[in-house]
Amino acid sequence: MNTFAGFLRRLSLLARAILKVVLAVVAPLAGFLRRLLAGFLRRLSVLARPILKVMLVVVTPLAGFLRRLLAGLLRRLSVVERAILRVVLVVLTPLANFRRHHPVLARGILTVVFVAVSLFATYFFDPITNYNLAAGAAMSIVIVGLSFLTGFSGQVSLGNGAFMGVGCYVAAIWANHHATTPMIGVLALATAAGGAVGLLIGLPATRLRGPYLAGMTIAFAVAFPSVLDLFSSWTNGGTALQLPQLLSPPGWIVSLFSKSTGSLTPNNMWLADVAIIVAGVAFFFMANLFQSRTGRAMRLVRENEVAAELAGVSLARARVLAFMVAAAYAGLGGGLTTLVSGSVAPSNFQLNLSITILAVLVIGGIGTLSGALIGGMVYAYSTTWINQIVSHTNLDPTGSVATSLNGIIFGALLIIVMLVAPLGIAGSLRLFIAKGLARRS
Amino acid sequence: MDGFLASRAVSDLLVGLHFGVVIGLVALSLVLIWRATHILNFAQGAMAAFSAYLGMSLLSYNVGYWWCAIASVFAGLVFGGITERVLIRRLYGKPEINPIVVMVGFLALLEAIATAVWGASGRAVPLPFSFVDWQLNSQTGQTIAISPEGVYQIVAALVVTILIVVLFRYTNLGLQLRAAAVAPEVSRLLGVRVSRMLTLGWILSSGVGAVAAVIVASNFGPGLTPTVMDAPFAIAFIAAAVGGLESPWGALLAGVAFGIMQQFVTDYLNNSDYVFLIALGVLVVVLMIRPQGVFSKSVSRRV
Repeated sequence: MNTFAGFLRRLSLLARAILKVVLAVVAPLAGFLRRLLAGFLRRLSVLARPILKVMLVVVTPLAGFLRRLLAGLLRRLSVVERAILRVVLVVLTPLANFRRHHPVLARGILTVVFVAVSLFATYFFDPITNYNLAAGAAMSIVIVGLSFLTGFSGQVSLGNGAFMGVGCYVAAIWANHHATTPMIGVLALATAAGGAVGLLIGLPATRLRGPYLAGMTIAFAVAFPSVLDLFSSWTNGGTALQLPQLLSPPGWIVSLFSKSTGSLTPNNMWLADVAIIVAGVAFFFMANLFQSRTGRAMRLVRENEVAAELAGVSLARARVLAFMVAAAYAGLGGGLTTLVSGSVAPSNFQLNLSITILAVLVIGGIGTLSGALIGGMVYAYSTTWINQIVSHTNLDPTGSVATSLNGIIFGALLIIVMLVAPLGIAGSLRLFIAKGLARRS
Repeated sequence: MDGFLASRAVSDLLVGLHFGVVIGLVALSLVLIWRATHILNFAQGAMAAFSAYLGMSLLSYNVGYWWCAIASVFAGLVFGGITERVLIRRLYGKPEINPIVVMVGFLALLEAIATAVWGASGRAVPLPFSFVDWQLNSQTGQTIAISPEGVYQIVAALVVTILIVVLFRYTNLGLQLRAAAVAPEVSRLLGVRVSRMLTLGWILSSGVGAVAAVIVASNFGPGLTPTVMDAPFAIAFIAAAVGGLESPWGALLAGVAFGIMQQFVTDYLNNSDYVFLIALGVLVVVLMIRPQGVFSKSVSRRV
């Protein structure tokens, strides 16, 4: 017994000696790195402040000038002109009232206007921009789903890349077997498949708390390539699955435009248009969900579970529903991605995809529609930007540095954004504007 | 007797045990961090692989395997400490989602840096012991499915676990570590340097992870790759969640069980693709019945 106690004492002495050595190495190194990071963060915020200041310096006088201009104009306005203004006001006030009383209809009109403007713009864009626009619109659908899950119910899913993969493959497989199915049918199927898998994975979410759910979804994301392999007779195994035909506009639309554009397909305009319309519909539904009873209930779940339960919200139902909606949106975005790119390959759906989706969501801003749009565009253009960096720095494009640049940039951005501005671009801007307004009044 | 020892089931059991201890080690390292700081370290696998890379890069300078292994573990200890001091310290008391997002970012960053520095293709790591199975009978040539290397791996994992358990349960330092995790305020009042204990928790966990990575690197066909720990990490997380994130022995046992399951599934279903699906299924079922895990005693939640 004594010898055992002695052994233990010696062991603990040894352990302490080792730990001392480790600590002696860690402390100065960590101090140095921490100072480095702190200095970097400080410099970052110092850099951001002048930009904001410049913006304020430019915007404030401009706004003042405009107001004075308007006031002067108003003063000088004749009775007739004042009557015209009154007519404008008479039009605007009902619009505001309309928005208050018919929020859904107002959102619908806003969506239609936004979509129409975007569609009009695609007419002038070059094929690359249109393709990026299409991919970004598809990705923003995935992101807005995850944004709803994370921002509203407070859960994190690291498996949305895999749910997106479900949608991608379901769309591709179905289109290969039933080539005549209309596009809407394929997309609906992809959405349903994503939602179904989400329900399956999300059911335990009723029992899981934050890190557990995140860990489980990360396991699903890691496992997804082998799931694809399991169904290799359908998914074509490790090689890419091609769509039988590319997305092409129906005949009547071509004949409608044929006099002016010749064809809609060559410059990817049709791809972008379809993606924008689908994204518009998806965002319209999500905007309504954000403001609906369900959305409010979920925000309460995130803020305070006990209060939510007291208020009669079923926690389990809210969690599963949020997870399912996110997965269904991922499925829809995936199906759209397949239609846009024309092929799917298992190498696209590794863990990296889920991490990148989370990264662009955090960069754009969790829990906002505009944040999801920003995130989608950041995702779509990231490849172009990274290729530009590679070509400017004369890196070997196939070398290990160039191929890992994506991970380095998004990984570092995830950490920095979460530490410096956890609200993301959209949330930070909103906060900035709200602060500015508060200061004015 | 020889026939029984050489049978398919016993072979699978032994091979599975040998996979399982590594998974158990990773699960143990997750539990250590979870107990100390209530953060689930998604970068655990990447950090372990990174430490192994740091140590094993000495192989290029004709340093012996054992020195490299020791250097890897030491790099793991230091790396864990630095990570806690520089990154994790900023996340205490923040919403639950912040540490998750930051650790996922760290995972992506580390794997990308490892790819950039050492390349995506594997780095061969030598085997310290023979990987040839022992013969039971020199006449018939029957073998038992375990080799000196397998025994070394199992023993190494056991020794590390026992050291950790002894440290936590029987030493003054271990008492301080546990106290700092359970009741930080009271511990601080009683003179425990809580922040140093949190760092220590990360140091220990990262060291255990590095041991696992060193073992995996010898096991795995292509050797050490930046993503070599992804799959062990995912299975180990499932094992830790099934065993209960609070229980070190539970994590190790569940890890071993999953390793054995993995081998049986791969052998009998003849397809390793089922492993993850079955593991996820087990997790779902266990969490439905016992959300706190099989081996955790109490479930308490602060409101």
